[in-house]
Amino acid sequence: MKVPDAVDGVVLDEETIAARVRELAARISADYVADDDLVLVGVLKGAFIFLADLTRRLTVHHHVDFIALSSYNRGTVTTGEVRLIMDTRASVTGRHVLIVEDIVDTGSTLDYLLRTFRARNPASLRSCILLSKPTRRQVEVPVDYLGFEIPDVWVVGYGLDYADRFRTLPYIGALKREVHE
Amino acid sequence: MKLWDDVARIMISEQELQARVKELGQELNATYTDEDHPLLICVLKGAFVFLADLIRHLEMRHDVDFMEISSYGAGTASSGVVRILLDLERNIEGRHVLIVEDIIDSGRTLDYITRNLLTRRPASLRVCTLLSKPSRREIDVPVDFVGFEIPDEFVTGYGLDFAEEYRNLPFIGVLKEEIYRNAEI
Repeated sequence: MKVPDAVDGVVLDEETIAARVRELAARISADYVADDDLVLVGVLKGAFIFLADLTRRLTVHHHVDFIALSSYNRGTVTTGEVRLIMDTRASVTGRHVLIVEDIVDTGSTLDYLLRTFRARNPASLRSCILLSKPTRRQVEVPVDYLGFEIPDVWVVGYGLDYADRFRTLPYIGALKREVHE
Repeated sequence: MKLWDDVARIMISEQELQARVKELGQELNATYTDEDHPLLICVLKGAFVFLADLIRHLEMRHDVDFMEISSYGAGTASSGVVRILLDLERNIEGRHVLIVEDIIDSGRTLDYITRNLLTRRPASLRVCTLLSKPSRREIDVPVDFVGFEIPDEFVTGYGLDFAEEYRNLPFIGVLKEEIYRNAEI
């Protein structure tokens, strides 16, 4: 396994992630076994690897849809407000929606997503998040299926990037402090 | 009802897929260097599973970006012209671009996407597809990397859907006939 110079070490290796994704998929499959119309909404770009692995371990019928978000900027600084760039293809009204995200940090993005989708009157609305940094939370958001709680370090890989880099590392690594400071 | 009960047979097993995706990754490693820093473009939704596995084998520096397209409707099908719902995040001028596709059928959509991207002047443009149905081809679009050539059967799994379902099967399978029949009623 090649670890780039900018990465300090492996926080979660491939086997650990794969095992946890299987557990999450087993729980989700059990929870939705009686529900007809489940749609997993993956948030681009970060969630695509997690979603690709999670969806293949589900044993229940479901659809997959995607949304893309960006942040509003004031000058060069992000305001933290979220802008929806691409909405889901299909309507979610009356359906069981499971939002799939790579990480919940301050909680503002997930809060935005939950408010947005709740307003569309889904049959149910839950979230499945690979990583959570509880010490960073500013907005209280419910996470129904969580992969791992991690400390407040800058993590990359398995969908997570630093300035669009290191997104496709097959494991989750910690970025060296000097790289992002 | 379990999802797998709807599958008549497995055309390409999970092990065969994984082995071939690894080989494709190695072909790409031999093609591109860190300096090339290729941009992999995934056309949603079908190719996201393939992309997620392919990138795990890449050793060179690379980025990923996504496009989502939809058809304008019946009249435009033969031109391949599609509506771009989500365009690339970044400019590709001067970049080495690799389009990652799940399947190439008639080749018309791919031909249009290729022409569209070429107007943006990438340094190079190649295509990597998991599956190809050569017997269905209507436009001779160049494909640089092919996972499997398959006969003209309706396949699902590994990103490919039937009526938005079965994308998540970890293999490429052929569905039971009654699944199609029920859908047609």
